[in-house]
Amino acid sequence: MNGVVEAVGVSKWYGEVLGLNAFTASFGKGITGLVGPNGAGKSTLFKLLIGQLHSDQGKITLLGENPWNNVPLKRRLGYCPEQNQLYGWLTGQQFVETLLRLDGMPAAESRKEATAALKVVGLSSAAHRPTRGYSRGMRQRAKLAQALAHHPEILILDEPLSGADPAGRVHILRTISEFAKDGGHVLMSTHVLYEIERVTNNIVLIHNGKAIASGNIHAIRALIDTHPHAVRIETSKPRQLAQALARMEHLVSFEFPAADTLLVRTRKPDAFYRELPQIVSDTKLDVRGLESPDDSLDAVFRYLVG
Amino acid sequence: MSITLPTYSRLEIPLLGRRQRVWAIIATGLRKELRRPAAIVVMALGAAFTTITSIAILFIATIIPSGQAPNLTFFSGPASNFFVLFFVSLMASVIGAGLIADDLQSMAFTLYLSRPITQLDYLLAKAAILAPLVAMVTILPLLLAALVAAFLGFFSWTIALEAMGISIVVGGLLTLFYTAITLFLSSLSRRKGIAGAGVFAVNFGLTIPAEVLTIVIGNRSILYLSPWDNYVAVATAAFGASSTGIDWAVALAILLGVTVLAALVTYVRMKAVEVITG
Repeated sequence: MNGVVEAVGVSKWYGEVLGLNAFTASFGKGITGLVGPNGAGKSTLFKLLIGQLHSDQGKITLLGENPWNNVPLKRRLGYCPEQNQLYGWLTGQQFVETLLRLDGMPAAESRKEATAALKVVGLSSAAHRPTRGYSRGMRQRAKLAQALAHHPEILILDEPLSGADPAGRVHILRTISEFAKDGGHVLMSTHVLYEIERVTNNIVLIHNGKAIASGNIHAIRALIDTHPHAVRIETSKPRQLAQALARMEHLVSFEFPAADTLLVRTRKPDAFYRELPQIVSDTKLDVRGLESPDDSLDAVFRYLVG
Repeated sequence: MSITLPTYSRLEIPLLGRRQRVWAIIATGLRKELRRPAAIVVMALGAAFTTITSIAILFIATIIPSGQAPNLTFFSGPASNFFVLFFVSLMASVIGAGLIADDLQSMAFTLYLSRPITQLDYLLAKAAILAPLVAMVTILPLLLAALVAAFLGFFSWTIALEAMGISIVVGGLLTLFYTAITLFLSSLSRRKGIAGAGVFAVNFGLTIPAEVLTIVIGNRSILYLSPWDNYVAVATAAFGASSTGIDWAVALAILLGVTVLAALVTYVRMKAVEVITG
């Protein structure tokens, strides 16, 4: 066992609720996707890995070390939490700088590295605006910037693409790929398989706190393609956007669950995610965020676990 | 759509030590508090009101004929100023109650602890944010009262300087006590309102019943239950004034004991805390 992450029979209870159930998996070098529906245990596993939760049973190591209360190990990792709350009065620049100072980086370097990290994630133009005014996708990018600004060995990203707009997704995925190319390791959770496919073939499927499968992504692609994939799009003009998207032959249905929301279902998610940015760019429609409800993935998981 | 991006590259940067990391938490915390109108109002009102009343108490004591020349015992009056209790409670509630609770409620605590920060670093930083603010009503008014009195010639500089030294010690004791208690209460809940209510409960919920029961029953030992009365007993003894009826040494032991216990329990609790956010 010499993986970046080794978990053997790890269990975690929250009172009566089981967060992880004898989770056993080994995550190798490079980028690994942790895929599972909401409530599967992805965030619990990540909290265990960054030492903010203590396992009730089993053994877990990150970079060969026990992460619980392991302060030196924290220098080696960059963590991007799922939650969206920040100190909203801080600007993006101040937010990243502050967290770099907590790492012990000198003020001048903090400023320089924060600026560089914000540039990498495409937030330079918004760096001096308070984060409370950021869209959800911009916040995701700010959190990614703070996670990689101190040059960690491993990035642990909890749903980094959740709510990000199309351009933001491109930035985030590109940043993750570059980080891995440079020798870094990435653990990234998502409940949207098609997002992770763009950056890695290595996935671990998690459901009800258990690792139910791991390995190459293509093996389960066929299964998922039989279930229409839902995408919720935040836009000020959902009907105009639906009209523009109608030319995609693989779309199954459109719904308008709210005045600023369009819900589409597609049989070819990869094609949808590939074509969407171009359509948005051509029509100049305002798309503020994308999110995939996990019902399609959940259906596949129910199938997999019988 | 065409997007060009700079590429990521890794580099090594020598990192600063623990003191700088703790200071980073303090600086962020202070910036956060100094942006809140409620915190600024309480700080300004607390410092101004306790200082003015402390000076007034001292002057009244010197004006009223008591048959003795101005001496150190006169300073026990401002040290026992009841407005200190009120404003220290208000300051601890408005500023201190949220110091840990707010971080637990938001993702700030998650981010703090994802950095090379120990729970002790975190607690020391939070104490370093709160203690100077509490000292603005527990120490500063006593220092200013002594200073003004010496400038106006009510007391000799020797007495004033001695009073200032004692003020720092007894005010420091009260500051440490409220800092430890407030951080302990703040660490118990994600809701700062509960911690804030706890501070008032510790102060007025113990002080007022203890004083009422003392009068009703006639047993002054009940006053040991009240942190304020314990402090007043210590402060009065420190300035050489006549006893308040309870033993200052026992009162001091209680205040120090509770302070240390609260700090230890908070540390142990933070050491074991697990960040469950959803």
